[in-house]
Amino acid sequence: MISEIDQAKVKGLVLNDISRKGGKYVANWRVYRPVIDHEKCVACGLCVTYCPEQAIEPGDDRKPVIDYRFCKGCGVCANECPQDAIEMEKEETQ
Amino acid sequence: MTQDFDVMPGNKAVAHGVRLARVEVVPAFPITPQTTIIEYISDFVADGELEAEYVHTEGEHSCMAVALGASMAGARTFTATCSQGLAYMHEVVAQATNYRAPIVMAIANRTLGWYWSLGPDYSDIMPEMNLGWLVGFVESNQECLDQTLMNFKVAEDHRVLLPTMMSLDGFYLSYSQERVYLPEIEEVDEWLPPYTAPYPVDPTLSKAWPSASLPSQLHTTYRRLHEEVMEDAKKVIAEVDRSYMENFGRSYGGMVERYRCDDADSLMVTMGSMTTAARRAVDRLRDQGEKIGLLKLRFMRPFPREEVVELAEQVDSIGVVDRVVCHGTGGGMAFMDVKSALYNTGVRVPVKNYVMGLGGEDIPIDDLYAMGRKIIRDKGKRLAEEVEFVEHAFSGGAPPVDVESEHCVHPGSDGCAGCGASIIIRTLLDTLGPNTIVVDPPNCAGVNYGGVVKVPWVLANFASAPAYETGIYRALRRKGKADKVYVTSYSGDGGTVDIGLQSLSGAAERGESIIWLCYDNEAYMNTGIQRSGSTPMFASTTSTPVGSVWKGKPQRRKNMLMIMAAHRIPYIATASLAYIPDLKRKIKKAAEVTRNGEGLAYLHVHQPCPTGWYFDPAKTVEVGRLAVQTGAFPLVEVDHGEFKLSVKPRELKPVKEYLAPQRRFRHISEEQLEILQGHINGDWEALLGMEKEGRLPFY
Repeated sequence: MISEIDQAKVKGLVLNDISRKGGKYVANWRVYRPVIDHEKCVACGLCVTYCPEQAIEPGDDRKPVIDYRFCKGCGVCANECPQDAIEMEKEETQ
Repeated sequence: MTQDFDVMPGNKAVAHGVRLARVEVVPAFPITPQTTIIEYISDFVADGELEAEYVHTEGEHSCMAVALGASMAGARTFTATCSQGLAYMHEVVAQATNYRAPIVMAIANRTLGWYWSLGPDYSDIMPEMNLGWLVGFVESNQECLDQTLMNFKVAEDHRVLLPTMMSLDGFYLSYSQERVYLPEIEEVDEWLPPYTAPYPVDPTLSKAWPSASLPSQLHTTYRRLHEEVMEDAKKVIAEVDRSYMENFGRSYGGMVERYRCDDADSLMVTMGSMTTAARRAVDRLRDQGEKIGLLKLRFMRPFPREEVVELAEQVDSIGVVDRVVCHGTGGGMAFMDVKSALYNTGVRVPVKNYVMGLGGEDIPIDDLYAMGRKIIRDKGKRLAEEVEFVEHAFSGGAPPVDVESEHCVHPGSDGCAGCGASIIIRTLLDTLGPNTIVVDPPNCAGVNYGGVVKVPWVLANFASAPAYETGIYRALRRKGKADKVYVTSYSGDGGTVDIGLQSLSGAAERGESIIWLCYDNEAYMNTGIQRSGSTPMFASTTSTPVGSVWKGKPQRRKNMLMIMAAHRIPYIATASLAYIPDLKRKIKKAAEVTRNGEGLAYLHVHQPCPTGWYFDPAKTVEVGRLAVQTGAFPLVEVDHGEFKLSVKPRELKPVKEYLAPQRRFRHISEEQLEILQGHINGDWEALLGMEKEGRLPFY
């Protein structure tokens, strides 16, 4: 790589450093929360494919698990689910 | 002279000025924070409140050129821009001076990238300062309206005949609401009669027109004459200010405004919206017994030399605030001008520069008060340092969330709920893998995904992303890595079909082995839903609003498939976020073609946008599917000239089903619907015919 260069010599340069990036917490956007009924779910994976936030990943049994930290509650997953296995439930308001 | 008032943002005040001046030609191209100026004007035109030729240009370079052509042909002309847009039109801005075109342009100031910011500083207007335009700065929304009107009166005066820029600080004025009094249009008509060009480019009226050429022996002479015209403009500016007072009851002092200067022994110099805060700082210092005054530079070009010298003779210390740095000189723009105005006059007074508020950072009263204290302290002193940068610590934003993921994009983003562009970027990067460089002309994806991808993401300039890609690709090729790293764009439709088309065409014709991916959400979503060359016919956008005169965008969209096919590139495909396996296959094909060094691969991916098309965010994929099933967005590919339909419904659904969920089409009449269905039927027949032929002609 480029470690042998004395990077401290470079003054006033703003970096776009991908090693310091991560997910973005967006749960506070949500008005409706998608809730998956794992009885109805057939693990087709469409919700994983279409989730705009990449907040859904297949779990151990291939059935999807939602990481609510990254879910904005847009409802695309519920709209696309061919089994109608995802309900959008109103979030409790404070 | 009693006037109605309304509470409105500065951008709307400018638009009202344009309406009241009965401007005849308005070329427009959006850029934050200027955009709403041209949107408010489009509302006036759409509703018949302003009868003007409104030109939706494809970029700022053309925008200024339209303005110049219109003004040369004798029309009263207005346009607006800022920042990158102003820099992009630079050479045409320079040309407007020698054609003596009295264009009035509003600049809703915004930092010129580097570093990128939407907030205002004067780095955008600084490079335009010495091109022979009149350049002014306003402080309030009322001044936005009044100065717009006064600028036409000054610029069109035959003693002046110069283009005029008016700076209003982005956000602080452009979007902030204030009370604005509106003169009656009949009174404005009387005060500001229609523009009469002395030498219009119109062979039915004139046999002579302004020329751009001059023997070099005469350049020095004509540059001197231009300086005389700029000096004459000072008198006209003062006259117009007085006559505005007589007619409309408001005056701003012409070239400068003096605030509490009568007995001042020290002086603060400001421009633009920061002046309001500076007034309060001066008031506080005055309450404490200090004799400090304030000079607001209303015009920077011509520079108010006499006014500055006169005050400098009276005071013992001057502090100049600059919201810009002229790099390499150590200080700011107004500082240089104030200092150089004094040098040969024999006036010896310390002049210190305070650089602050860069990138749009607020300039609070407390900072100006502290600065005022230092100005008073420096009375009669010899300065150790002549420039001070007023800096503040940054408290930092929210830290990223640690999360395990194999994707090339981290979860979560700043995108709107239900954003389709996020589905496409994930599919693109997961298919190409980590050794990919994304070149991103400005778009909403740059704002939303640039910070969450795990690959290099290079922000390009709007009109030249394909050339950025070319440079990166050629460097990699030279180093033997062209088959190891993919270079792709993630461009919107504006960066592809409009402002970016020239550069894309160049890269395609040269055969650069790069990927161009256009995520097409059919309007300029990043600046707030203005029409693009890819907006479908009759769609309502914020620059093609529906009113009593306008009924949505009147033109059909560009056929990018055929434009790219005319370049005979090895691979072209349209795709949709609703058909992911098809999209993945096409990305793989594009990767293969570019890895083999065969030339440019072009992917045009349809991206329904819930925010811009006004539909329920849950329906992003559903709307995308309907676009394909109704034939509104057919999925096709051209593989080395072989044409194929990728998805071929046995029977197309009526287009009405696709339009119904989208409020951008809610105004649509039966006749308009029939026209759209006719276009789709015709296009579909043509595509079926092309598939039957197989190979495209001329390939």
